[in-house]
Amino acid sequence: MERLADQYANRAVRSVFIYTREAHPGENYRHHRSMEEKRRNARAFLEHSKVRRQILLDDLEGAAHRSYGLLPNMTWIIGRGGLIHYKSAWTSAADVADALEGVLDFQANRAKNQWALFYSERTAWSTRDQARFHEGLVRAGPQAVADYERMLKGSGTSRNAPSPDIGPRVPGNFYRTEEESGER
Amino acid sequence: MNNAEYNYSEFVSSPNEFLEFAVHAPKASMRAPSFPLEDLATGATVHMKDLWSTGVTVMEFGSFT
Repeated sequence: MERLADQYANRAVRSVFIYTREAHPGENYRHHRSMEEKRRNARAFLEHSKVRRQILLDDLEGAAHRSYGLLPNMTWIIGRGGLIHYKSAWTSAADVADALEGVLDFQANRAKNQWALFYSERTAWSTRDQARFHEGLVRAGPQAVADYERMLKGSGTSRNAPSPDIGPRVPGNFYRTEEESGER
Repeated sequence: MNNAEYNYSEFVSSPNEFLEFAVHAPKASMRAPSFPLEDLATGATVHMKDLWSTGVTVMEFGSFT
């Protein structure tokens, strides 16, 4: 996402990172009980990740995060004036770039071409880097690892393949085969 | 959801959180809600609506963990 931010900065696209609650708190990076604790974790994130985008902290109660849907790593594209062009449950730089091209084309050529905007939904996909994700859990602390493993045992998410052409199920994939839905 | 529930101390997945996002969060083609945020670098308050007042804004939500 850093590369994407740099790539589009000269096309009047502003990219920001909004810091929320800790998704997988552990002994090393605990849940926030104050804004100072939130700032401390955000500074540690900045130091580790070398994010160059502007980092903006949501309030302690997560007012913005709640309003936008509470997911841990979503991305939104907002057009000039506040029109929501894109919302994604997970962040994929390739998918964001694809959507951005459409948004910029729309904004530049809408009037000339008399384009009318309409609502649409679609799926997207990305590679799940489980090794890198696990590194993050270890960094957060043993509790974060244990909490996540407990969730996996309980839900089985990310391990089942609903069909040969739809890949492993991840959170946010609502697809169920006829058999799983009890329709067959 | 109170403050302690929002800032949970132990991760427990919510089976419906993605469905909530899909169904109840604002949708594409709607107006984006605006909230005040704090710039980590300066401490200044930044209103989200000021981000998109002059151009397109990409907002990624996340945390260290």
